[in-house]
This record gives sequence, structure tokens and C-alpha cells, in this order.
Amino acid sequence: MHKALFCRDVQTLWKPWLIFSAILTMYIVVIISMFDPSLGESLNLMMESMPELFSAFGMNNPGATLLDFIANYLYGFLLICLPLVMELIMVNILMTRYLDRGAMAWLLASPNSRTKIAFTQAAALVAAVLVQMAYITAVGIVFAQISFGGELDIGRFLYLNVGLFGLHLFLSGLCFLGSCLFQEGRYALGFGGGLGILFVLFQMLSQVGEEAEFLKYLTPLTLFDPKALAMGETVWPSILALYLGGAALYGIGIFFFGKKDLSL
Amino acid sequence: MSKPMIEVANLTCDYGHGRGVFDLSFTVYQGEVFGFLGPNGAGKTTTIRQLMGFVRPDRGSAKILGLDCFAQSSKIQSNVGYLPGELALMEDMSGEGFLKLIAGMKGLRDPSRMEELCNLFELNPHQRIRRMSKGTKQKLGLVCAFMGSPEILILDEPTSGLDPLMQNRFTQLLLKEKERGATILLSSHLFEETEKTCDRVAILRAGRLAAVEQMQKLRDSRTRSYTFVFPDEQLAQKALAQWGGKGQLEANSLSVTLDNAAGLPELLGIAAECKACDLREKSQTLEELFLHFYGEVQQDA
Repeated sequence: MHKALFCRDVQTLWKPWLIFSAILTMYIVVIISMFDPSLGESLNLMMESMPELFSAFGMNNPGATLLDFIANYLYGFLLICLPLVMELIMVNILMTRYLDRGAMAWLLASPNSRTKIAFTQAAALVAAVLVQMAYITAVGIVFAQISFGGELDIGRFLYLNVGLFGLHLFLSGLCFLGSCLFQEGRYALGFGGGLGILFVLFQMLSQVGEEAEFLKYLTPLTLFDPKALAMGETVWPSILALYLGGAALYGIGIFFFGKKDLSL
Repeated sequence: MSKPMIEVANLTCDYGHGRGVFDLSFTVYQGEVFGFLGPNGAGKTTTIRQLMGFVRPDRGSAKILGLDCFAQSSKIQSNVGYLPGELALMEDMSGEGFLKLIAGMKGLRDPSRMEELCNLFELNPHQRIRRMSKGTKQKLGLVCAFMGSPEILILDEPTSGLDPLMQNRFTQLLLKEKERGATILLSSHLFEETEKTCDRVAILRAGRLAAVEQMQKLRDSRTRSYTFVFPDEQLAQKALAQWGGKGQLEANSLSVTLDNAAGLPELLGIAAECKACDLREKSQTLEELFLHFYGEVQQDA
């Protein structure tokens, strides 16, 4: 890893990080404060009136506890899609815009191997995602304690977030791989963004009806099951698969970047 | 013979449609300033990309300090200063921030050389790069290339965007670097630009090496075209007659082409006698230079 480059990365990433973290904070606070017996009932009524729509977003089982409620309304869709958008933006900042416009030439015209440079950029992305996951975990715990002291099962909530980080390691790895495979911006971002959207759509469709249920085998999002995590079920093999898959995607990206012809 | 620093052998990189470079071979020796001349699209930048290890050759090899330019590029880069032909800087940064980043990437700790170069080019690095003019960006790029005092400098069209004063400073800097012992490869599409600094030049045409020649030899064999303006047509005609009728008369101006410098004193004498009031040198295009040079060689043979 290269220190000077990493410092530069931090300077370029903090703004999008802050914006997305602020948006996520807002959602977390709003959703948690909606956990209220009477409001919950009206939400349940709404859900019953349009079950397909709610289940498309993974919100088909609000459950009884605060954790079930959070897992249902936050971890089924919002905390998957919003960070994914941020990851795509960050990959653009760290890799694609340098490659597309040619500024990468300056980084490569230094006594650092391509592998080292790509590794540094990957490390910056993983760090940004990790810090965000830690942050939203903290916000969740603090706000739940303030609003409903003692209601949140903190142990399982942490487990849920360990799973979420696994998923985002995988998704950000996918975006990163795109930037290593393609030099042109639209293909590089199209790869990660396109597959990400496809995976989310597959999951939504698979949750709606039985005809499309097979689609869940075509999306890695299935490996992250927030409700099962919230119930404390043994799902660590699928979480482990996400971590290993994510690490592999980053590794493959760095490997290809080291070998690729670059027109800079 | 001194140590070979850059060795290119049968280098081919085919981009299709006749673009790219084909079967290029040349060597640049230690302490030499080597010019890479060719019109736009001749393959100068393509060759430089190979030297920088951005692209792998289809065939042949490119080596710097005996190391393969693609596989061992990071080892080579600690001895190389590079200026890209198409400047893509990090627009969101200030000039200063960018210089610091590049110094950090190169592992340079002492900023004194960087400051010296900024002063030399009268560059104010505190500006945002986005707001810089093309010339200012070029200066920033030059500071980056030179700040590590590298053994080898690879400069792709280094004077583009610079005003004549700065071009001059750049030439002085290049000569100083040469004195220091640096090996320099620079590309250009103007013969005049390489004339003052280069020891040898390679001429590229359509991706192929047309010639590698000593600058001295090219300079000597270059034709010279001058246009004299006289106060009136009679004087112009008189001058033409005295010069033996070899020239083109156009109203009161006379254009004369010399094959070499030998006839110049006599020509100037005649012009002075006929009260010439203006003198212009018509610079030769690269193509003309090339045709003249090789036309002559063929006649000799």
C-alpha cells in the first residue's frame, strides 16, 4: 500500500462518504422511530393491502421485535442500494476517472508497481465501506437505545451488520473489478452498476411470486438474509461465502490491472 | 561507445488501420539527447507508451537500463522522469497538492528542486489545476518530470503550450540536465525545436522509422530558403541578376533557396548592395527536410 496515494484517496472520498452517511442516518432514524405499536399496525395494514410491493423490497415480515422490524425495513433494500451507489461513485473517483481521462499515467510513472497502486485504491474503497458500516451500526445502536432503551438485541444487531459488510465487500469488489477490466468509463461503471442493479432486480422479483423464485439463485444478495440473521439462525456459511467472494473479486481486479494494456 | 540506456528492437504495436508502430529499432546512449521527430500520428506517443510500460508490444522489445519496459516498469521508473503528451492532470487538486502527491509517489523528500523548477518556469502552484491555462499546466507537468533529477527523461512534446520565453528556458534547462549527465528522449513535430538540443534524431513516418541521423549532419544538409524584400522592383531584379537568376521574383520580393550555408555570405552581400529592407527565413517542413536529405543521399549513391 502507498501512503501518499492513500492520503490523496481519503481527501477525495470524504465528501461522498459524508453525504451518503448523512442520508443513511436519516433513514435509520426515521425507520427506527416508526417502530411503535400503533404505527406498526398501520404499516402492517398498508403491507397487507399491497403485499407484492412490500415483499419486492424485502419488507414482508415486520416481525415482533425492534430488530426484526429494522432488519425488515432497513436491511432488505435501503442499506443494500444506497451504499452500492456510493461504492460505484467511489470506484469512479479512485480508478475510472484516472483511467478514462489519463491521469493514471502520473501514478504509474512512479517507482510503484501497478499491483501496489491498485491495491492502495482497493484498500481505500474497503476502508470507506468498512467505516460506513461501523458508523451505521453505531447510529442504529445509539438511536435505538435513546428511543427504545434496552429493546434492541445488540449482539444480533452486530451480527446483522457483519453480514451487511460481507455483502458490500462483495458488491464493491464487483464495481472495483469492472474498473480494472475496462478502461472506458461507461463500460467500467456499467459493469459494476449494471450487475448490481440486475442482482437487486432479481432479488425483488424472486421475492414477489413463486414463478420467479428461481431467480434468487442468480443473485448473491440471497446470501445475505437479514431476517435470518436477526432471528439468530446459523447462516455464517453464506456470510463467509460473501467475504471470500468479495476478497476474490478484489484480487482478480488487482491481478488484471497489473497485466492490462492501458492507453494513457 | 557509452552505455545504452534505452534499447528498442523490432518493436511493433499494431492498432489496425495502419496505425501504430512497426518494426522500430533504435538505441539511446547515456548522456545523449535524442529527438523523436514525426508528424502527428506518426507513432511517437505510441513508442513512448511502450517505453513507459503502459502497453505491451505485439512483437519486439523495449528495454530501459536493460530491464523490460512492461514487466519491470516499476524498477525502471525510479530512474525516469516522464512528461505525457496529452496532459491529464487531477483537475480537482491545486498545483501544489498535485506536486506534493507526485513527489510522494516518487518518494522524494526534499522539495528544493521542485521549488527551483517552479521559479524557473515562473509557476504559481497555488492555483487550482482546473483554472490553469494550457501553458501553466504544461509547466506543472514539466516540474513533475524534472523534479526527481532522474537519469532518464522521456518527454512527449515538451514545449507544446509554452510561450517563446518559456520555450527558451526549457531549452536551457534541457542543456543543463544534459550537462548533469541525464539521457533525454524528446518527441516533437517541429525540426527547429529539436535543433538546439538534440544530438541525434529519429524521424518517424507512418509508424516506421525513416531515419536515425546525427543532428549535425541534418543541419548541414538542410536547405535554406530566404525571402528578401527590396524598396522597389528594379532593385529586386538587379539582385536576381547578380545572383545569377536562380530565384523567384514576386513584385519587389525575391525568394532564394540555398542547398547549404556556403553561398550565404555572397547572397547577403548582394542583398545589402541592392538595399534589401527586409529578410525572412522560410522554415522547412519536416517532410521537405526529409525529402531533401534523402533525395541527396540517393544522388550520392
